[in-house]
Parts: sequence; structure tokens; C-alpha cells
Amino acid sequence: MSAPVEDRRESWDGPVPVPTGATVPFWEGTLEGDLRYQECDCGNRQLYPRAVCTDCGAEDPPFEESEGVGTIYTYTVCHVPGEPGFADRTPYIVGAIELAEGPRLLALLDADPDVLEIGASVAVTFWRLSDEAAMPVFVPE
Amino acid sequence: MAEPILAGVAESELGETPDRNWLDNAAIATVRALEDAGCSLADVDGVAVAGGNDYMPALVLSEYLDLDEPSFLEGTEIGGSSFEHFCGHVRDAMTRGEADVVVVAYGSTGKTGPGRDRSLEETHPVDGFVRPTGLFRPPGAYAMAARRHMHEYGTTEEQLAEVAVSTREWASMNPKAAQQDPITVDDVLESRQIAEPFNLLDCCLVSDGGGAVVLVSEEKARELGVPEIAVAGVASTSTHRQDISEMPDMTTTGAAVTGPNAFAQAGITHDDVDVAEIYDSFTYTALVTLEDLGFCEKGAGGEFVSGGTTAPGGELPMNTQGGGLSYCHPGHFGIFVLIEAARQLRGDYEGDRQVDDAEVAVAHGTGGLLSSSSTVVLRREA
Repeated sequence: MSAPVEDRRESWDGPVPVPTGATVPFWEGTLEGDLRYQECDCGNRQLYPRAVCTDCGAEDPPFEESEGVGTIYTYTVCHVPGEPGFADRTPYIVGAIELAEGPRLLALLDADPDVLEIGASVAVTFWRLSDEAAMPVFVPE
Repeated sequence: MAEPILAGVAESELGETPDRNWLDNAAIATVRALEDAGCSLADVDGVAVAGGNDYMPALVLSEYLDLDEPSFLEGTEIGGSSFEHFCGHVRDAMTRGEADVVVVAYGSTGKTGPGRDRSLEETHPVDGFVRPTGLFRPPGAYAMAARRHMHEYGTTEEQLAEVAVSTREWASMNPKAAQQDPITVDDVLESRQIAEPFNLLDCCLVSDGGGAVVLVSEEKARELGVPEIAVAGVASTSTHRQDISEMPDMTTTGAAVTGPNAFAQAGITHDDVDVAEIYDSFTYTALVTLEDLGFCEKGAGGEFVSGGTTAPGGELPMNTQGGGLSYCHPGHFGIFVLIEAARQLRGDYEGDRQVDDAEVAVAHGTGGLLSSSSTVVLRREA
């Protein structure tokens, strides 16, 4: 897959991801429009990236590319900004997205709150926030 | 196994304490709780502390109080359930004969103190996955869990509001409660939106303040002549931490594990429970915990809390001091559920505020983002 990556570096005042350790390959992928998760040889799939498999304990489980689609497990519409740089954005929607491959991911939902529902299909896009990282943002399919 | 006796309880000033830091509030609560137990700082041989955003909090408080070589030190930080969790460690320590008088203390300046350092540098890697979404934590995280519960079980915003309404009824009888004016379901639904489905009155207060409880051995309790409120069961667990999306099932908390464990240790059933002090950082926190502790079927929490079940005169008196929703919430509310449970079992109150002949109480703490659960069963010995 390669999902759209929109450059938001100029307009973004919020927190930006800081790639460290096991998360570096994930954030590298986002710059290319790729959503990566870890899939261990034992079959366990996980996000966020970690230095060990949470099932068998293998070190540095390899990354796979997600298809970038999933469903809304749940969501909230934030009327109070939770981070610096979000005041002008309220209300905004944060969801827990269940990827088709299984792992869940917390992410902004770029959608109309009035038509959102749990279980709805969504697809990933990316907002590039820094030279090092783009944030996954999901839109209704 | 020894059963520690909850011999003394106290709060510091609550609300706003701009001239105090967390340690001042923890220390004030500690000396007041010791006085309540009829003993003094010289008797203390153990200290357990959480919260306060300090490194090595048990050492910090021990130094501040100039404790004389305490043999039991505990500073495990599992958020709002830390103090319930400590009760198990204190029990173990007393069984080994390691301590006779242990202070469990908390202090905070959650309302007037300095804000948290917001730097992302060198923090946990999950922060990079959570903070850029702007999720307002903790309310937004709990709201997401509540929304999932509504989806799976048909729970309504009105039912969530019932928790706040019943809790406020109790608060109206507590002079220490920050909010004492009665409210209706409509008041909750019409209050300012915070993170859907939560409005302002679905969310706990933000307060300064501290609390402490004194746990003593059975032998020491007899010496002090205090009412014997025994720690009859304790259990803790966790399901996740920083990222609510890591919670395996947002409609089931760790209380589903800790409740049965603590009840079995104490040898009680739900019918034995006279009063429940259940962590209520949000209306949903209390509702889902009641389900997970088994006071009703899974998914039936909305129905259970409707119609005043947990209000004064109801079938299950809950959060009888007004809870985190109306009384105080300095950040780790878990100390206050222990304090109130003990007071109800001692029969400290008069009139409707006192639960009639309360012998068994459940005190439940929740920490993080619905992340940790600790259940304590307290029993008044005949």
C-alpha cells in the first residue's frame, strides 16, 4: 500500500512523534505512506512497535505492511483540547481503529462526527508533522 | 494470614491549598490519621506512599516526618488504586512480623500546583502514538470506553448521568464535599460537553488535598482499643497503561478479576456488602466497576444505577461521601474510598448519611486510564 501523505509541517502546532528505538521503522514507513505493524515469526501481531514480541518474547519482531484499512472500535469527540495546538481544532474526533490485520491504533478521525458510528470502515491517510514522522489519520471509506 | 486493622483515617484540607505542596498535605493527613487511631509518629514502623509526582516518595515522606528507621517501605505507583494495592503488601508484612503500624498516605496539589511537564523528549515510545492525536486524557480515554459500552449494551447517557445524580445526593450531606447542590439527569446532560459522551458533570472534580489511613496489627489494635475494621480481602491487577486502545476489552475492567478474588478471600457474597466505595473518576468508571465486581450482570450497569439504587436509601449505598464526582478528586482518589469505607463501618455519621449497621464494605480503586484495578473488602469485627 501507499496511502496519501499530506505535508502539514507548516501548520501543525501540536505534539510531534519522536522516533526512538523500536518505533523508528514505523515512523520511517509513515513518510512513504506505509502503515506498519510488527508480525512475529510466532504469528503474534502488535502495535505500537516494541523491542520484544508480547507473545513469545522474541527480540525485534519484523515489520509488515498493513493494508491501511480497518473499522472504528470506538471514538470520542473532544470538545476540550487535550494537547497544545489543538484549541483551534475543537471539536475533533479521536478513534481507536481496529486494523484489518488485528492490532488497534489510536488515531485522529478526519470525518463528520454526525455520521460516525462504531464498526464503520475507515482507511488511513497521513499528515506529515516533522522531517521524521507522519501521523496516521483515518477517513471514512 | 494476619488481617491488618484499619485503625485511623483522615484527610488534610481539601479543595484549594495554594500554600501547601503534596508532601505537606500527605504529612498533615498522616498525623491526623495517627491521632484518629490514638497513636503517634513514634509508633510508625512502616510507610506506603503513592502520587505526589516525586521520586522515591516513601523515602521523601519518611524523611519529612523524621520517621525512625521504618522497616516497611512501599512506593509502588499504580495510579488511583495504589492504596488498595498497598493493603495487600501491608498484610504480608504484618504476617511476617515486619511492621505493626503502617501509614498509607497521599498528597496532591492537583488543582493549584504546577502543570505537568509537557515535553515529549525521552518519554515512553507510546507517547508518540497517543499525544499527537490530541486525545484529552483521561476524560477522552474513559469516554471512548463508555461509548463502546453504549454500543455493545445499549447503555445510555441518561443512565451514566444517574451515577452523578445519586452521588450528588450523598454529597449534599457531606459538609466537606466541594459540590453539594442537588442535580438532575437533565443538569448532567446539559452541562458543558467535554469528550462525548461525557459532559462536565460526568467528570470528577479537580482538587488539592491529601488523605491517609493507618493500618495496624491485630495485637496493636487491641492495645489501642480502636474499632476493629479488618482488611479481609485484597486483590489487584492491570490490563494496560498509557494507550486506551491497548485495553483488551474496553467494556470489562480488571475489577472482573480482583472482585471475585477479594470476595473469596473475605468469604463474602454480594448480599453481605452493606456499602460500596467505588472509584468514580467518571460516571462510567463506577458503572462498569459495579458490573465487573458482580453487583449486576455484565452490561446491566445502566439499568442497575437507574432509580437511585446507589443513592441514600437505595439497595447499594455507594460513594457515601460524594465520590470523586462531588466531594474531591486530587488525582489518586483511592485513598478516599478507604477512608469513607472505614468511617461507615465505624458508624461515624448520623442520620441518613450513615448506612444502617454497616458491617462489610467494598473499597475499589481504579488507576491510569481504566488501567489498574484493586479491590479491598473491609469487615467490622463483632
